[in-house]
Amino acid sequence: MTRLVSLIAATLVVVTSFIAFGGTSAAHERRTIGPYQFVVGWLNEPAHVGLMNSLDLRVTDTRVTPAKAVEGLEKTLTVDLQTGGLAPLQLTVTARFGTPGAYNGYVMPTATGVYVFHIKGKVENLDIAEKFESGPGRFGDVETTAALQYPNKVPAADELTKRLGDLQSGLDQTRFLSAAAVVLGIVAVGLAIALTRRRA
Amino acid sequence: MRGLLAALVAVSVLILMGGAAAAHAIYVKSNPASDARLTKAPTELRVTFSETPDARGSDLEVLDVDGKRLDQRDVTLVSDEPNTLRVSLGALGDGGYLVAWTALSAVDGHVTKGAFAFAVNAPLPEIKDIGPSAPPPTPLEIAGRALSYGGMALLTGVGFFTMFIRVPTAGAETRRERRLVMAGGAALIAGSALLILGLGTSIPQRLLLLLGLRGLAGAAALASLAVPARLLPADARREATSFFGLAAGLTATLVSHAAASGDLRYVALDYLHVIAISIWLGGVVAFSYVAMPSARADDPSELGRTVWRFSLTALVAVAVIVTTGTLQSLDRLVLIEDLIETPYGIALLAKVVLLVALLGLGAVNLLIWGPRLRRGLDASAHLWRGMVGETVMFAGVLVAAAFLTAFVPPAQASGAAFDETKHVSGIRVQLLTTSTLPGRNRFVVRVQQGLTPIGGAEKVALRFTMVEHDMGEQELVTTERAHGEYVAEGSPTAMFGTWKVQTIVRLTGRPDIHALFTLPVSQPAGQDATTRIIAVPPYQLIVFSEPFQPQAGAPLTINVVVVDAKGDSAAGKKVGATFSGPSIAGPLEGVENLAELGPGRYRFTLPGLDAGSWKITIILSDAGSGVYELEVGR
Repeated sequence: MTRLVSLIAATLVVVTSFIAFGGTSAAHERRTIGPYQFVVGWLNEPAHVGLMNSLDLRVTDTRVTPAKAVEGLEKTLTVDLQTGGLAPLQLTVTARFGTPGAYNGYVMPTATGVYVFHIKGKVENLDIAEKFESGPGRFGDVETTAALQYPNKVPAADELTKRLGDLQSGLDQTRFLSAAAVVLGIVAVGLAIALTRRRA
Repeated sequence: MRGLLAALVAVSVLILMGGAAAAHAIYVKSNPASDARLTKAPTELRVTFSETPDARGSDLEVLDVDGKRLDQRDVTLVSDEPNTLRVSLGALGDGGYLVAWTALSAVDGHVTKGAFAFAVNAPLPEIKDIGPSAPPPTPLEIAGRALSYGGMALLTGVGFFTMFIRVPTAGAETRRERRLVMAGGAALIAGSALLILGLGTSIPQRLLLLLGLRGLAGAAALASLAVPARLLPADARREATSFFGLAAGLTATLVSHAAASGDLRYVALDYLHVIAISIWLGGVVAFSYVAMPSARADDPSELGRTVWRFSLTALVAVAVIVTTGTLQSLDRLVLIEDLIETPYGIALLAKVVLLVALLGLGAVNLLIWGPRLRRGLDASAHLWRGMVGETVMFAGVLVAAAFLTAFVPPAQASGAAFDETKHVSGIRVQLLTTSTLPGRNRFVVRVQQGLTPIGGAEKVALRFTMVEHDMGEQELVTTERAHGEYVAEGSPTAMFGTWKVQTIVRLTGRPDIHALFTLPVSQPAGQDATTRIIAVPPYQLIVFSEPFQPQAGAPLTINVVVVDAKGDSAAGKKVGATFSGPSIAGPLEGVENLAELGPGRYRFTLPGLDAGSWKITIILSDAGSGVYELEVGR
């Protein structure tokens, strides 16, 4: 009876694990570097703009079976996050509580698009300098939240920035046109006065 | 006389249109193709351009990776392929080769440059930056063009004005008219001479002929002034002067961008544009210089009527200029941003602004000073100032037109099957594909700011998704093959349908630039179709080559899909192929790769076939055989 309970419990743990973590690793990039396997992606996939997210980094040593989680990398690895050609942001790498070999680096992406995790440092004695980029077959780009919003659509930060930029540009143009109109008006009034005087 | 003039113009158009082509020779294709990886060394190189190049001033240099020239320096224009130059090659060994081409337009002598690479059993070499693809015009060229246009406008406009607006009667007026004709003729001669001088000995023969004719028109206008009035009465001389102006205008049209399309409609539009602008601008000068000094002493109402007649003419001319100019701009500009980002667009914008200002001054003459003069009020001094202002702007228009005709228009024939440009965040992203057929393709992304290529992008990638079916997303990452030109090859568009191509350009210090293109992938109909359905009862074989239009010596794949009577693909068959054609090619066994190709799909991989017509017999072991005909290009 005890064995049966243990079997059911073990099965439940496995099934729950699949449910809990199966989706997460599906959209991650796996890469073998030396004897280590790196699994890199967003902690919350799909990643959405304006929502808190994190690097999801898991490192295992494949020289042993089953693969062994590599711990303590928060002290030896640095992770920079970069989108486009902009200056990268260094993430604070922390070990994930209760999950050996898993690391976080929290960030709130404020623009949609392709993101790159630059991972540098040491894993035990091995030097690491790897670039993990979002994209097809790897992990997801940061997406807009538009499809998830209900009932009102709220523009994301990058869209708001763009709209503000457009507004500012429109305002500048209006100022310029107003100034030009004032100058033209003054010239027209001057001409009118000059013509009136000449006629008189 | 007028009927004769019209007939002469018509005949001239027909004669001179014969060799009309584009004004800048742009690379369209080559053999070996750009980035071709060959298994057999070619014996000649052919490069086809968007228009006829002049072989004397053009060059095809084939260099090895150390920069050593390996061609035979015997560049000639071939007769069996239009707009194509060839050069013989010595015995090329395995390795990477760079082709640096220089094309001198046979139409207007403009030089264009470019480079591409190919390799024989070796990796492709790096393409070095060879400088601007179209060198900027020289001051001599701009001066030559501006003088020529000034001469055309003076001869045409003065002739028209003195025939239809105000016939000079006083001796002083006639003398001023003769001076203007003299200036117009001299400007035509000087302009043509400067253009010929600027091009030197490399001037193409057709261009030399047309510039010679232009100069001759100027000389004839000058000569007409020397003919005694009893032999050539004043009205006949004016008609002749107009004709010489129109003839000179025709020579300008025939070496213009309008001829680039080879479309007679655009040539007609350009010529109408030249005529209208000449009548207006030349008329303004004639009015202010010939008519005004005498007319100011006349009855103001008579001057007012002259203003009215000329304004009506100018309005018609402006309508023609706006219509023909807009239609031409639509053909030559790719994006509205071209107006401020490209040399051609800036010159066009300057010309438009000056014409609008001219129109404003003309409107003041028509609506304010003209009516006052007709009422008998003295407004001639205002009118005079306005006309002088118009004449000054007229000079500006001529200079703008000189630049406009010398610069490369943003819309140029590329020879690509798909060619589209997007403007995103101030950057122009142009996507070109070799073909719009399914299968392996070559994707070229040009990244430019204005027309200046942006090299050294951190990354340029293409992501493909199909609209009709969920085929997932595939990515191709390009490599920079030339400065600002990023190239990727692959088979992401494997099926007929509509593909969204997201182009991601990563430049240092700025967010990624995303440009979305919609690429239709379809099989051409008719004789160009290379997919064949061959009946081998009870099966049907769908056979197609990859690439769809194979070139000699380049790797080639023949794909065979075996479909049974139910329409399902038939797996596990033994499929073979034998080849009959210009040379010997051994039989092959088809490979069915279930994991990569799927069931019932068989592939024959060949290192390359010689140019010519091939008959490929596809043998299906348990059913029979069918013949697939394939044309392999040179």
